[in-house]
Amino acid sequence: MFKPLLVSTAVALGSLAMAGSALAEYPERNIQGTIQWGEGGATDNVARSLTPHVEEILDTTIVLTNRAGGTGVIGMNHVMNQRADGYNLLYGAENPLLYQLMGLADFTYADMHTVNIIGQGLVVIAAPADSPFDSFADLLEHAHENPGELRMGGTGAGGLPNTVLAMINAVDELDVRNVTFGGDGPGITAMLGGHIDFMPLSLAAAGEQIRGGKLKGLAVVTTDEIEALPDVPPITEALPDIESFLPWGPFWGVFVHKDTPDEAKAALEEAYEEAVASDEFQEFLESYGAESLNLNGDEAQEYLDSWQSVTAWSMYEADAESLETTPEELGIPRP
Amino acid sequence: MSDTFSYFLMAWLDPQLLLLTALGTLAGIYVGAIPGLSVTMAVSILISFTFAWDINNALALMVGIYVGGVYGGSRTAILLNIPGAPSAVVTALDGYPLAQRGEAGRAIGLSTVMSVIGGLLGTLVLAGTAPYLADMALEFASRDYFLIAVLGLLLVSTLSGKSLARGIFSVALGATIGLIGMDQVTAQPRLTMGSMQLMGGIHYVVVMIGLFGAAEAFYQLHNLNKVPIKQKVDKIIPPLSMVLKFLPLSVRTSLIGVIVGALPGTGGDIASLFAYDHAKRSVKHPSRPFGEGAYEGLVAPETANNAAVGGAYVPMLTLGMPGDAVTAVIIGALVIHGLNPGPMLMVETPHIFWFTVGNLALANLFLLFFGLTGIKVFTKVVEVPKAILIPLILVLCVVGTYSINSSMMEVYWMLGFGILGYWLKVFGFQMGPIILGVILGPLLDETYRQAMSSEGESLGGFLLALVSNPLSIVLTSVIVLVLLSQTPAKSWLLARTRRS
Amino acid sequence: MSKKIERVQAGEKVFDWLLLLLSIGVLVEAYRIDGIPGLNSPGSFPVGLALIMLASSLVILFSHRRKRRDPQIRGALHEFQVFWSEHFQPHIVVFTLVSVAYLTAIVWVSFYLSTFLFLSVMFIYYRNGRILSSLLLSGLAIAVIYVLFTLVFRVYLP
Repeated sequence: MFKPLLVSTAVALGSLAMAGSALAEYPERNIQGTIQWGEGGATDNVARSLTPHVEEILDTTIVLTNRAGGTGVIGMNHVMNQRADGYNLLYGAENPLLYQLMGLADFTYADMHTVNIIGQGLVVIAAPADSPFDSFADLLEHAHENPGELRMGGTGAGGLPNTVLAMINAVDELDVRNVTFGGDGPGITAMLGGHIDFMPLSLAAAGEQIRGGKLKGLAVVTTDEIEALPDVPPITEALPDIESFLPWGPFWGVFVHKDTPDEAKAALEEAYEEAVASDEFQEFLESYGAESLNLNGDEAQEYLDSWQSVTAWSMYEADAESLETTPEELGIPRP
Repeated sequence: MSDTFSYFLMAWLDPQLLLLTALGTLAGIYVGAIPGLSVTMAVSILISFTFAWDINNALALMVGIYVGGVYGGSRTAILLNIPGAPSAVVTALDGYPLAQRGEAGRAIGLSTVMSVIGGLLGTLVLAGTAPYLADMALEFASRDYFLIAVLGLLLVSTLSGKSLARGIFSVALGATIGLIGMDQVTAQPRLTMGSMQLMGGIHYVVVMIGLFGAAEAFYQLHNLNKVPIKQKVDKIIPPLSMVLKFLPLSVRTSLIGVIVGALPGTGGDIASLFAYDHAKRSVKHPSRPFGEGAYEGLVAPETANNAAVGGAYVPMLTLGMPGDAVTAVIIGALVIHGLNPGPMLMVETPHIFWFTVGNLALANLFLLFFGLTGIKVFTKVVEVPKAILIPLILVLCVVGTYSINSSMMEVYWMLGFGILGYWLKVFGFQMGPIILGVILGPLLDETYRQAMSSEGESLGGFLLALVSNPLSIVLTSVIVLVLLSQTPAKSWLLARTRRS
Repeated sequence: MSKKIERVQAGEKVFDWLLLLLSIGVLVEAYRIDGIPGLNSPGSFPVGLALIMLASSLVILFSHRRKRRDPQIRGALHEFQVFWSEHFQPHIVVFTLVSVAYLTAIVWVSFYLSTFLFLSVMFIYYRNGRILSSLLLSGLAIAVIYVLFTLVFRVYLP
């Protein structure tokens, strides 16, 4: 009974406080940054190397907390339930764009404001160094002859390997045993031991292993060869039709509550744009095997929309039954 | 060779690195001792904190925190029966009874010396065999991890006290709690009762803090007005004869620790469980019965979990793959500092390996120093009146739980587990098996399903795989042997052979 | 197996029945994942574990047949009285209630204020007065928590 009363009092006090501080410049205290994936993961690494630059620009402290779990649902849900004052940031990856499609949650990035789409990872299909396959075409041929024999490392429904598999299956047929791991790391470890035959991975996760000769790249999921992996053919060589889905890759971004005051949104956008563009961070992205995007405003929105449409429709075409709903019902246009 | 040696001594000769290692070790002891503050968390915070530093300085601080933190968990386990970290759960089984006999000082002293021995042996194994050990660790397929988890489940008989049925119930309950949350394969919610908050599961440290910390606080309310046990503080440093007596055991349990630690799927928590079990099976005449303050029950888990630190660095330094959660974060730190953790790390930045080895050895020496000084002050904690201690423990449980995921929901769960734990304790259930279930349940589920998928969903293929690969055969036979020795089958067999 | 007949504690039987109920609840919840599970489906382990819980709680209940109630306890009502006086002593009940109130209060009045109140109340109650030293102790505890968690570990307490 007291709850509504207390909440309204709190809101009233909060807005009073905000009105009082309208003159003061944002930010005037510590900012909370929530990372929707665990410590040591790609999102975590990107967030932790970008944040010190932002702290310098905004002249404040950003306290980073990892709230992993539920493919990122937990972390995003937390930030959406905080006060919309610009003091709660979400460091997220691509997953929320698929929540509704997979029935994980009823929100997506459209329910937040995008501060910056930091960068995009490249995807490589990797195999153990002693694998009998030298290219993705070899592997595909073998799989056509022996359906359901090859073991692919995956990270579960909605994870990157499954999405890449869905894209392949939308234009061709690749019937494999999908072995689910807790993340890229355990998957790579299993592949190093030869316990799985191949795994689509972000370049950030697999690049060093390929360079060190422990894994080999069968294909990069791009239309052209990339500088970082000179001898690995693009996937379009084996599967020309997949071009309609490209360019595609996992991405990382920073988001705030939709109702954040404009002044805070502008300050954040400006700070993040500058931080992402800084030489040091660009160097980091490059050595990390990622492409810098540094998008905000309409450009960011366009990027998110096109990513969602490509991914959702390829998943739908590959295996409609595994989805909770159709992209059509969610109003996602065809790519 | 001379390079190797100079890299090894880097941290020993540079005053700045020396200071940072010492500082890290000291801070680590407190991080480890406070339930909820974890080494993983401390190291993640250090990443932002040390962003602009030289990488060696950052690594020195992290190594110190890691070594100190793994050890620190035993402090609160011994003094208050509240393990500061999951790897100290078994330390409480014999450590706390020792404190109740007034031997808290001796227990901490012994655990310090043994932790250092374990830590140094782990470092030695890392230095000597890292590439081979890493290759061996890679041989472990999902089915082998599954077998290890099954082997772990058999520890229930060691941990469940008088009633095996209660032990089995507790393990199953723990495993069920561990499975709450989103299914990894299909992303379906499991056992969440429709709650969005539970999609991410309940962190196992929350369960641990509830069952050990809060439940202990409630349980101790019965002794509110009892005068605390006076602690003997004269014999803190264990005599050499005692250390020598436990040396063979500690070498064995250190080996268990370093191997289990080197496997990327398992860490110090599981290592300490196996070590305790090993001690209980192999030591015929412990100083006191296990569970009532046996020194052996303290030596085994403490050597194993500190040896596991060296083990966890094995896959990290040789392959760039994390051996546990802490090394995963350290890999992240290397990435952020512009290094490329991977198989080329040892080729391109050769100093990192020997620098880390030297640093680990150094941190263990600091541990010996910091561990043995100040014990007298620490043991006073047991002598604090319960009227003050119990409310403080509850507050500590609340802060500790909240720091894990900044979630109030988990704090409520913690209190719930505290109340549940109280009643379970009252009616003769042990907490150990529940934690065993929480740790092993998800591992069992995950590895079983990986193994099944690898074999194309065929149970026949799965069972065949268990006996068709050398490593799996070894693990399967160990399980069969343990089962035979635990069940009535053993006495039946013995009786038969005697008769014939 | 020892030949000695074990004693059942007051309330133990009821508790073990509750565990059986809990097992059934878990089974129902596990069944809701995907019905009768296959060999490798999300529900296979949860259902299996629930069955193990069910079986072991039945074994526990069955073992009561071999145990005897404390001869000093006469009848169910007396057992209840013994149970009550053992576990519902005022200082335990107060501690539990104040703890629950404390956790609820954190959300409303911030962590530090509610912790201070909780510690002061419990100290004053358990130490029979001695208000000043109790307040001082609570203040000291808060200060330590503030330095350690907020300053050093940057945990954002509510």
